[in-house]
Amino acid sequence: MYLILLPILFPILAGLCLLVYRKEPERKLLTAFTGICLVITGALVVSALTLARQSLTLFYLTRTLPICFRIDEISVLFSLLTVIVFICAGLFAFVYMKHEQKEKRYYGFYLMVFGVLNALCFAGNLITFYLFFELLTLSSLPLVLHTGTKEAIMAGLKYLFYSLCGAYASLFGIYFLYHNCDTLTFTAGGVLQVSPASPEGRFLLLIAFVMILGFGVKAGMFPMHAWLPTAHPAAPAPASAALSAVIVKAGVLALIRVIYYIFGADFLRGSWVQTAWLTLALVTVFMGSMLAYREPVLKKRLAYSTVSQLSYILFGLAVMHPDAFTGGLLHVLAHGFIKGSLFLIAGAIIYTTGKTKVHELRGIGKEMPLTMWCYTIVSLGLIGIPPTGGFVSKWYLAIGGLAGDIGIFRYIGPIVLLISALLTAGYLLPLTIQGFFPGADYDYNTLQKREPARLMTIPILFMTILSVIVGLFPNIITDYLTEFVSTLL
Amino acid sequence: MDFVCNFPFFSILISLFSGTICSVLPEKAAKAVNRIVIAAVGVMSGILLLYLLGTGESFVYWMGHFPAPWGNEIRAGILEAGMALFFCIIMYLSMAGGAHKLFDEVEESKHNLYYILINLLLSSLLALVYTNDMFTAYVFVEINTISACGLIMIRQVGRTIEAAVRYMIMSLLGSGLFLFGLCIMYDLTGHLLMSNIKESVALLIQSGEYQIPLIVSVALMCIGLCIKSALFPFHAWLPDAYGYSTVSSAAILSSLVSKGYIFLLIKIIYRVIGFEIFNNTRIIDVLFVFGLLGMIFGSLSAIKENDIRRMIAYSSVAQIGYIYMGFGMGTQAGMVASVFHILSHAATKSLLFIAAIGLTEVSGGSRKFIDLTGAGYRNKWAGVAFTAGSLSMVGVPLFSGFISKLLFAQAAVQVEGKMLAALIVLGISTVLNAIYFMKTVIRIYATTGDTSYPCITFKDMKVHAIVLLFFIVLNIILGVSSQPIVNMIEQGLAMFA
Repeated sequence: MYLILLPILFPILAGLCLLVYRKEPERKLLTAFTGICLVITGALVVSALTLARQSLTLFYLTRTLPICFRIDEISVLFSLLTVIVFICAGLFAFVYMKHEQKEKRYYGFYLMVFGVLNALCFAGNLITFYLFFELLTLSSLPLVLHTGTKEAIMAGLKYLFYSLCGAYASLFGIYFLYHNCDTLTFTAGGVLQVSPASPEGRFLLLIAFVMILGFGVKAGMFPMHAWLPTAHPAAPAPASAALSAVIVKAGVLALIRVIYYIFGADFLRGSWVQTAWLTLALVTVFMGSMLAYREPVLKKRLAYSTVSQLSYILFGLAVMHPDAFTGGLLHVLAHGFIKGSLFLIAGAIIYTTGKTKVHELRGIGKEMPLTMWCYTIVSLGLIGIPPTGGFVSKWYLAIGGLAGDIGIFRYIGPIVLLISALLTAGYLLPLTIQGFFPGADYDYNTLQKREPARLMTIPILFMTILSVIVGLFPNIITDYLTEFVSTLL
Repeated sequence: MDFVCNFPFFSILISLFSGTICSVLPEKAAKAVNRIVIAAVGVMSGILLLYLLGTGESFVYWMGHFPAPWGNEIRAGILEAGMALFFCIIMYLSMAGGAHKLFDEVEESKHNLYYILINLLLSSLLALVYTNDMFTAYVFVEINTISACGLIMIRQVGRTIEAAVRYMIMSLLGSGLFLFGLCIMYDLTGHLLMSNIKESVALLIQSGEYQIPLIVSVALMCIGLCIKSALFPFHAWLPDAYGYSTVSSAAILSSLVSKGYIFLLIKIIYRVIGFEIFNNTRIIDVLFVFGLLGMIFGSLSAIKENDIRRMIAYSSVAQIGYIYMGFGMGTQAGMVASVFHILSHAATKSLLFIAAIGLTEVSGGSRKFIDLTGAGYRNKWAGVAFTAGSLSMVGVPLFSGFISKLLFAQAAVQVEGKMLAALIVLGISTVLNAIYFMKTVIRIYATTGDTSYPCITFKDMKVHAIVLLFFIVLNIILGVSSQPIVNMIEQGLAMFA
C-alpha cells in the first residue's frame, strides 16, 4: 500500500538531491539523471494506479484531519496526463534548456513539481489536497522565475499572490466545511448533509462560491485570470507547456474534488452559485479568445487561449450534467496534449529562430515543415474540427449544455462555445497560413532548413498523435468515464 | 511531596544566582555556566513535565513552608512546566546561534554582563511562569524589564541606546499600570495570592459590589501587559528594540520576553479573575479589535520596511495580534490556539532572526534588501532556514504556522459574532505575510546578486547551521505532530481552573 507514496516521494527527493548537490554537474550527466528519474516516476505512477480504491492514511495532522491518499478514476485520468506531459516536456527541455542558465535548478524544481502533482492526483481528502495545492504553487514558482529577469520576477510575484489569495479563499471555505461536515474525505456524491434551503445551507452556498472563485484562480477563471498570461510566457517553453497543460489543471481537479466530492452536485444544482459559475466560465471563454485574438506575441497568445480553453472545462463542470462532465474531462486530456504540444512548438520556434511575434514568422512552415504540420494539426484540434481530440470533447460539452437543466444558459452556452471556436481559428490559423503561404513577395533565397533537433520534434509529434487518438478513439475513454460519472451525478 | 516538586524553585534560584556568579568568572567560564544553567533548567522542566503528565495534577509549593494566605507560593502544572521547557530550548538555541555575532557587536569587557543579563532574564521568565503570587509576579516583571533593557543596550550603537530608552519608558508605563491594577485589586480583595484573589473576586461578582473598580483593575493589568508585549497600538518601541540589538537579544526578546508577559496575562485570566468572569467583561472585545488591527497594521508596516531585521520585527506585531485575537474570542478553543501560537511564533521568529543574521553576514553586514540579493546562494543554510521560517509564517501546511491558523480558524468558526471578522482579517493577514516574506525569499534567491561578497559554507558556520537545523526541525515537529501538544495545552489550561 505504501507503493502509493513512491511516485510522490521519489521525484521530490530526486529533485531535492539535485538542488542540494553543490556543483553544477556536467550537462550529459544532468540530463541523463533527470531523464531516468522522469521515466522511473512514470513507471511508478503506472504501477501505483493498480492500487485503485485503496486508501492509505499516513498520519494525523490534528485529531480529525488525516493526511491520506486514495486513487480513483479522476486520479487515473489526471495522473496519466501528468506523466505523459511531464516526460515529453522533460525530453524537450534537454535540448531547449541549453540556452538557459542554471539548468540544475530547473530540473530540480521540475522533478519536485512532478511529485507534487502526483500527490494532488492521489490526495484522498481535502486537507491533503490543500497541502499539496500550496506546495504546487511554491514548487512551480521557481519555474516561472527561472530566467531571473525583472519581467520574470514580476510575473512570478503576480503568480504567487494570485495563487495565495486563491488558496486562502479556498482555505476559508475549508474551515467552514470542516465545521459542518463529519469528514473531509473525498466521497462520490459529496459528504455534506445540509439542505441548501436551510439557513446554514444558504451560508454554505456562499462558501461554495468563495471556494469556486478561490480554486478558480489556478484554473485562470475570470476575474482572477490575469496571472496566467503573465506567468506562462515568462517561464521557459517546456515549463510553460507543463504549466499550461497540467499545472493549471490542478485548479480544475480542485473544483471537481470540491464540488463533486465534498459539496455534491445535488447541493449546488439550480442554485445561484451554479448560475454565477456558468456566467463566469462563459465570460472567461469569450474574453480569453478575444484577448488571444488581439495578442501579437505567440506565447502570450497561447496563454490567453489557455484561459479560454480551461473555462470550456469549467463550463462542463458547472452544467452538472453527465455528458457535459464527460466532455469536460475529455477536454482536460485533449487540451493537455494540444496545449502542451503548442507551447513546445512555440519553444522550438524561439529556440531556432529567436522570434517571438506571430507576424515575424512568415515562411516558418517552409523552414520547419514537420513542426508546423504538427502545429496545424493540433490547432485544428483546439478549434474542434473532427477527427481531432477537441471535436469530441466540445461535442460532449455542447450536448451536455443543451441537455442540462440550466435555464437560459442551455442556449447561451453552446453559442458562446461556437463563437469562441471561431475566434480560436482566428488566432491560431494565421500562423499556419503565413507559415506555409508566405505570399508572392517572400524572398525564398533567405530560406534555410531549420528543423529542430530530434529530441524536440519527437515529444511534439508524440503529443500531436495522442491528441488525434483522443479524437479518433474517444470511446475508450468515455466508456471508462461513463460508469463512474453516473455515481457522481 | 516528591523531590521533583522542588524543581521549579531550583530553576528560578540557580538561574538567579548563576547570574551573580557569572560576574566574577572569566569570560569562557561565564559562557559555560550560562549554557549549563539554561540546559539544566531545561532538563529539570522536562522531568517536571513528565512527572506532571504522570500524576495528572498540578501542585502548589510553599516557599519557606508558610501556608497561604501569608506565605509565597509557586504553582506548577503541565502548561507551566511545558512553557518553561520550551523557553529553555528557544533560549539555548538563540544563544548558540547568535554566539559568534556577540564578539563583533558587543565590547569584550561586557561579555560577562551579557551572560548575567541572560541568566537574570531566564530567572524572571521562570518566575513569571511559575509564581502563584501577584506581587512576586510584579517584582519579576520589573527584573525582566531591566534585564531586557540591558540586552538591548549592550550593543552600543546610537540607535540601540535610543531604542533602549524607548523600551524603558514604554515598559515602565506598562508595569506602572500593572501595579495600579494590582493595588486596586489588593484593595478590593485583601489578597495577593492568585487563588485567594479568585475566591474573593467570585464573591464580589456574586454580591454585585465594586463592579467598576474591579473592571478598572482588570483593565489596567491587561493594558499594562499589552504594552509590554507590544500589542498594536503600543508597539512603537518594538522595531528599533528588535531591529538593532544583537541577534541573540532580538531572538530572545521577540520570542520569549513578550511571551512571558502574555503567559502572565493568561494566568491572570484563569487564576486571578476566572475565565468566565473575564469573558463577560467588554475587555475581550477590546483585545479582539486591537488584535485584529495589529494583524493588519503590523504587516503593512513590515511591507513598507526596507531593512530585513526591522521587517521581521514588525511581523512580530502582527503575530502578537493573532495571540490577542485568540484571547478576544473568549472561548477555550481560542485560548488553546493562542497558547499554541505562542509556541509556534517563538520557534519561527527566533529562527528568522538567526537566519537573517546569516544572510546579512554574507552581504557586507548590510540589512538592506538591495544588498541581500542572492544572499541565499552565498549562505545556503541561512537561506534554506529563512525560507522555512517564511513558509511557516505564511502558513503553509506541514509548518507550525499552518496549525496555528487552523486552530484560530476553528476557534473563530464557533464564535457567532466574531467569526467573519476574524476569518477575513486572518485571510488578509496571511496574504500580507506572504507579500513581504515571499518577496524576501525571492530576493535572496535572485540570480542577479552582487558576486563580490564571500560565500560561507558549512565548515565556517557549524554551530550556526546546526542551530538553524534544530529550529527548522522544531517548526516541522510543531506543524506535523501538533495533536499531542494541543492535548497538553488543553490539559494544562484545565489545570488552571
